[in-house]
Amino acid sequence: MVLVLALGDLHIPHRAPDLPAKFKSMLVPGKIQHIICTGNLCVKEIHDYLKTLCPDLHITRGEYDEETRYPETKTLTIGQFKLGLCHGHQVIPWGDLDSLAMLQRQLDVDILVTGHTHQFTAYKHEGGVVINPGSATGAYSSITYDVNPSFVLMDIDGLRVVVYVYELIDGEVKVDKIDFKKTSTSHSAH
Amino acid sequence: MLKDKPRRVFPDSLGSFVTGFDEIGASELESGEELEPIQPGTLGFYRESDGGEKAINDEEGQNIRQRRQNKDSSVAPVSVLKSISVDEKRSDLEFELSRREINLEKLQRIATTGIPDGGGLRATLWKLLLGYLPPSHDLWEKQLKENRQKYAKIKEELLLNPSEHIWKEYEELRSTKQHEDNDDDGPLKRHGISHEDHPLSLGKASLWGQYFQHTEIVEQIDRDLQRTHPDMPFFSGQSSFSRKNREAMKNILLLFAKLNPAICYVQGMNEVLAPIFYVFSTDVDKQNAANAEADSFSCFVLILGDSVDHFCQHLDNSSSGILATLSRLSDLLKVNDEQLWHHLEFTTKVKPQFYAFRWITLLLTQEFKFHSIFRIWDTLLSNTFGVQDMLLRICCAMLLCVKSRLLNGDFMANLMLLQHYPDDINIEYLLQVAQDISPDTSCYFLSL
Repeated sequence: MVLVLALGDLHIPHRAPDLPAKFKSMLVPGKIQHIICTGNLCVKEIHDYLKTLCPDLHITRGEYDEETRYPETKTLTIGQFKLGLCHGHQVIPWGDLDSLAMLQRQLDVDILVTGHTHQFTAYKHEGGVVINPGSATGAYSSITYDVNPSFVLMDIDGLRVVVYVYELIDGEVKVDKIDFKKTSTSHSAH
Repeated sequence: MLKDKPRRVFPDSLGSFVTGFDEIGASELESGEELEPIQPGTLGFYRESDGGEKAINDEEGQNIRQRRQNKDSSVAPVSVLKSISVDEKRSDLEFELSRREINLEKLQRIATTGIPDGGGLRATLWKLLLGYLPPSHDLWEKQLKENRQKYAKIKEELLLNPSEHIWKEYEELRSTKQHEDNDDDGPLKRHGISHEDHPLSLGKASLWGQYFQHTEIVEQIDRDLQRTHPDMPFFSGQSSFSRKNREAMKNILLLFAKLNPAICYVQGMNEVLAPIFYVFSTDVDKQNAANAEADSFSCFVLILGDSVDHFCQHLDNSSSGILATLSRLSDLLKVNDEQLWHHLEFTTKVKPQFYAFRWITLLLTQEFKFHSIFRIWDTLLSNTFGVQDMLLRICCAMLLCVKSRLLNGDFMANLMLLQHYPDDINIEYLLQVAQDISPDTSCYFLSL
């Protein structure tokens, strides 16, 4: 039972002052084992804050990040799943499923987590799962101003994953869940 | 002087009070205790050749006890007579156990004098004495099976982590085809969540909230278990054997904490569990040893049954709380040896709270060596008036046995002595003193 927090595109302090209070109250240290962050934090203070939530932090570089040494992409294995991480501004057209699928094949992962579009999506596509946690602060994106703050928490348990989607809609936190299994023979999520 | 029968100090006024005890004292001797010829030196002093109490004056008693203590440290090797008596006791017990309707009273009387090691006798006897096994032999198997199944069920309900719970439900739904699978490509289906049922929920009612609340307790239990009996390979070390044992004990303590949220887990419960689990796991009967976890859980609950209030902080000042018990200990000491009581309470101001708290709440597991605990618990569990009664008597006897040292000590010395109870005190003698102690009259009145 491994809890993995996926979030990104906070754009603090340029486009948003802080995480929404309701999100902040839920994120307490001690519960989460890993954090994967798609990028665009943008400052070191946020990096430190995330480090207090969980010491195991993985970040990829977004185009506005002030820390230049984050990698462009990252892969890690949790449970029986291989996760891939990338900010997504490198993949053109932005948010296009086929292009993301190319990246997924390149990284050879089961679950690809990318951001940049500031919209939550979760797709099963060509043998892999693509998750976009959206923007945790609801910052405006290059595409749209209408953004709901959202992030994702994955509960990985061997071959099964439950994805909890936290969205702030009209000031209330709404939680949904998605579950899927991986068949052990192939790389595809079942 | 050497040929003098050993006597104990009892206030004159109470001499007549304890006449009722004479009978019990005598019958204890009948049930297999060997009357050894009094040899000049050691052995003769262990057994009381008459069960009656005599009041003698202080000084003589002190001298005798001091000499006894000196000799205790140089014990003679076990005599042939003694080992014959152990074998006799074992066959007595085995005979009693083989009967269809077990005579609990008789068992209690024999067990009070110590259960012989080996042959799984102790495990079976403790289960009987605690009431886990019924006195009727035929019902044993049924009872054991029922209890073990119950334990497995509670374990499944309470010890699963939330992920496993959720997937269990998912499997059930799937089998009834109510749940659509995320099989095809395309956007993954989202399902609404029933209220608060997500990992970050702060609500106390949610599965996840409770799980995270308990992680603290689990950590504490783990830490305490690592420190239990570090010298014994059964409990400590990194071998898979000791790890399995610690895992089993962790399950028991965690279940107890979850089922008793008012008391939760208190540091020290691991020490009370240790002898029970050890005795049951080392049972000769393979099936019993394999189910030691389930049996230990039930017996752990039974043995703590009366004293559960001692652990609850709000009940400290109530009539069933620890302070009340400590004052009963004080009264017991006063009734039996006013001089010592006065010296402790007023002259040196060593109140029972300073030393007896651990004695009583942890049932003396921290005061004696591990294997002496078995002998002491034999007597504790086989008392007709219950564990707590005998516990107070043994505590009082502990004080009486070091009386001379206490009378000569000041506050610091006495406190040090009582908090690190000396291990040169002979256990058999201690238990004999305990059994002969005048009862705590505030609780009940002997029908005379």
